[in-house]
Amino acid sequence: MKRAVPCSLLIAVVLTACTEAHDATGRGAHAGFCEAVLAQVDSFMATVAGDRPGGARYGGMAVVGAPAELGGMNAFAHGDAGAVQHQMFVNLMTLVRYDEKLEPMAYLARSWDVSEDESELTFHLRDDIYWHDGHLTTAYDVAFTYLTAVDPRSGFPNPAFFQNYLPGEGGVEVVDSFTVRFRLRPHAEYMDPWRTVAIMPRHLLGDVPPEALARHPYGEVCPVGNGPFRFVSRSPGDRWVFGANPSFPPELGGGAYLDRYVYRVIPEQTTLLAELLTGGVDVHVAMFPNHARRAEAEPGLRVLSFPYRSVLFAGWNSRVGKLSDPRLRRALTLGVNRRQIMEGIHGEQAVLVNSGIPPVHWAFDPTLGDSFPYDPGRARDLLEAAGWTDRDGDGIREDPEGAPLRIELIMNQNQERQEVAEIMRVQLREVGVDLGPRVLEFGTLMGRITSPQRDFEGVLVSWEAEFRLDERDLFHSEAVDGLWAFSGTMDPVLDRHLDTLQLVVDRASAIPVWHAYQNRIMDVHPNTYLYSSYRRNGVRDRLRDVVMDARGEWASIREWWIAPEDRRTP
Amino acid sequence: MLLYAVRRVLGAVPLLLGVATVVFLVLALAPGDPASVYLKPGMSPETLEQIRRNLGLDAPLHVQYGRWLLSFLQGDFGQSLAGGMPVKDRILAVLPNTLLLASVALFLAFAAGILIGVVQAVRQHSLLDSVLSGGSLLFYSMPSFWLAIMMILVFSVNAGNVWGWPVSFPPSGIASDGHDLMGPMEQIRDRIRHLTLPALTLALVLAGGIARYVRSSMLEVMGQDYIRTARAKGLPEWRVVWKHALRNALIPVVTLMGVYVPLLLGGTVFIEYVFAWPGMGRLMVESILLEDYPVVLAGTFLFGAMVVLGNLLADLLYGVVDPRIRHGHG
Repeated sequence: MKRAVPCSLLIAVVLTACTEAHDATGRGAHAGFCEAVLAQVDSFMATVAGDRPGGARYGGMAVVGAPAELGGMNAFAHGDAGAVQHQMFVNLMTLVRYDEKLEPMAYLARSWDVSEDESELTFHLRDDIYWHDGHLTTAYDVAFTYLTAVDPRSGFPNPAFFQNYLPGEGGVEVVDSFTVRFRLRPHAEYMDPWRTVAIMPRHLLGDVPPEALARHPYGEVCPVGNGPFRFVSRSPGDRWVFGANPSFPPELGGGAYLDRYVYRVIPEQTTLLAELLTGGVDVHVAMFPNHARRAEAEPGLRVLSFPYRSVLFAGWNSRVGKLSDPRLRRALTLGVNRRQIMEGIHGEQAVLVNSGIPPVHWAFDPTLGDSFPYDPGRARDLLEAAGWTDRDGDGIREDPEGAPLRIELIMNQNQERQEVAEIMRVQLREVGVDLGPRVLEFGTLMGRITSPQRDFEGVLVSWEAEFRLDERDLFHSEAVDGLWAFSGTMDPVLDRHLDTLQLVVDRASAIPVWHAYQNRIMDVHPNTYLYSSYRRNGVRDRLRDVVMDARGEWASIREWWIAPEDRRTP
Repeated sequence: MLLYAVRRVLGAVPLLLGVATVVFLVLALAPGDPASVYLKPGMSPETLEQIRRNLGLDAPLHVQYGRWLLSFLQGDFGQSLAGGMPVKDRILAVLPNTLLLASVALFLAFAAGILIGVVQAVRQHSLLDSVLSGGSLLFYSMPSFWLAIMMILVFSVNAGNVWGWPVSFPPSGIASDGHDLMGPMEQIRDRIRHLTLPALTLALVLAGGIARYVRSSMLEVMGQDYIRTARAKGLPEWRVVWKHALRNALIPVVTLMGVYVPLLLGGTVFIEYVFAWPGMGRLMVESILLEDYPVVLAGTFLFGAMVVLGNLLADLLYGVVDPRIRHGHG
């Protein structure tokens, strides 16, 4: 021990010398930030508590259980699906929200105008939206959110949202405290970013360097929102607790009916189902299909299913010699009984797809239907034509040099994907393809498919499309070195469609182009698209007026209510 | 004895730092990227690189290690890469939960294991001995993950709802939602109800092994001359067994405590996962998967420290149960 202390000191001195001054994280700089802002929130909430109306619907607590933790409430950093929904519908507000037909409707913005040449978009904000600490939400907050999001230093996860907006100060103008104007190039779905990007509080984060925002305690420890629920507490990895915000304007329906809303993290699905069955949680998000069947049979429970925006597919890396041949890629699709796999796992709660565009989206081409149906005979013919023949009689085809047709298919630990890969392996073996499924942890998987080396042959992955479709990152030749161009596709026809779609402003004109694009995807055949499955969520009957659809599970949370006789008694 | 304990603890610090360094290198050399958790469709390589810069992951490995070690020596565990909370806060939020679960399970496991082992030794070769041996072996060889799910199905899902038992237990979590709105007694009861299933599951798995140790140790002691002498003096049998035999039979069992502390901390990983118990085990597994090395390193150091303390505790208990052993003079 006598030697250990001087050694430690020596190491410390040496490391001090070799360690550059670096504290982009702002570590230690925010001591007391959370205590101060949460005290202000408590104080403001106490002053407006009397504004909360009474009535049978007001009161009670609902608990939602989900397998994954929420990233946080910082829209500049936390982009996971659960966190974004909590930003949009629970704790924060977006300028607009979608109605059930997925058309924009007023929310934080009371109205909006678009200039004739569609190069200016002006939002007129409500003047009665308060941050939970008592400050008014203004156009300056909106401008701050935009400027930070487009600032590359912030690392905002969705910069593509604003790629057609003019960058920097020239792109936004605060006309007055409640009017903000954006300048943009005319493009399709220009409103969509404002449906999903929550407005952030300038008075709390305006002084934080953009590169330090992602690690600021605001998002994880003390979020101060302006939505229908205020943040109450968080136990990391366990639960988030939110309370009703009485200052939410009556014109938007007033504060939430529920007094308290709890988001619980329960990683094991069987335990989560047990909590639903025993009444520990009121909503079980993202159920396994077999669990949904169990819940449907249980009195007092219902399962809400809705088509979602995700598509499951096997992506083939065309940079790998053998997979550059579209005949092989088509054979891989024809050799897989996609319908059987889909119905075996999801019953009728999934739809076959032939591109990455989900059936719930207006751009989906329903006429494509069951293109590329299971046809092992045709798959064998295509493989023969491509030069793959079983030369040694072992059931696996070889190329003229004798190299066997082996393809490694990587995926993460997701149970459904592992099942799908195993069925694909068995079915492709029938046509002479040796598919080798391999499970990797998420970080390694992402590293392999997004790194410049593209060290993979096939990947089984689920892709969640935004409402504002843009597949340039996946398939445009100019993006072939980008993170998401894992298929390595370069096709001038696809490029032309994708370029055209950038500029078509109205949906009616865009639909024929999207349909042509989907047909071309089938010809080029970069991936084996499997299906788009429904989201299933178990809900206890006591929780009323729960509407869940493609907008998300929490879209209607402000309207959820529990009759007094059905409430928990702590 | 105090000097001995202090020397043991301080002497372990360089060892623990060495372990943390190895873990850092293993994580750094492992494939994958901690920034991948932030990947989103539509993200450009430049944005990903900016996120890596913001997280401090763009620096060379030795600089990252230097930053971590420097902070660590100053008592600062740094900030989690997955989010940005201080590591200290993340660990402090869950460490008490794991310690509570592990200590209750350890107590239950030793209490049950010793009791079963003694009964088996006293009734050697009886039907009771066979039944208890079979039961111990059964629980000892059960995967804790599976046992945990069975416990939930029996004592939570079916006990109250299906079979109408008067008592059922919550399947997960450390406390009920609305715990803060309960009265003090209700809060304690709520905590105990949530602790029951995970602690029992852990204890059941461990108790089987302890019982086997106690049984064989007791049988060995019961054959000693001084036991025969005690009986010859006319001491009642319970006194012979519980006072004379058990105290000596416990000496090797105490060693188990040192071994079981790390085992228990490792075992809590599955239990914490199944019972959604927010503890160190879950935090470590999730952090390893996310390559959140500041959390992993701090956790490794803490786990190592607990192993050292467990072994130290076992050594000190030796002195308590065996008067022939005394520390402090070496």
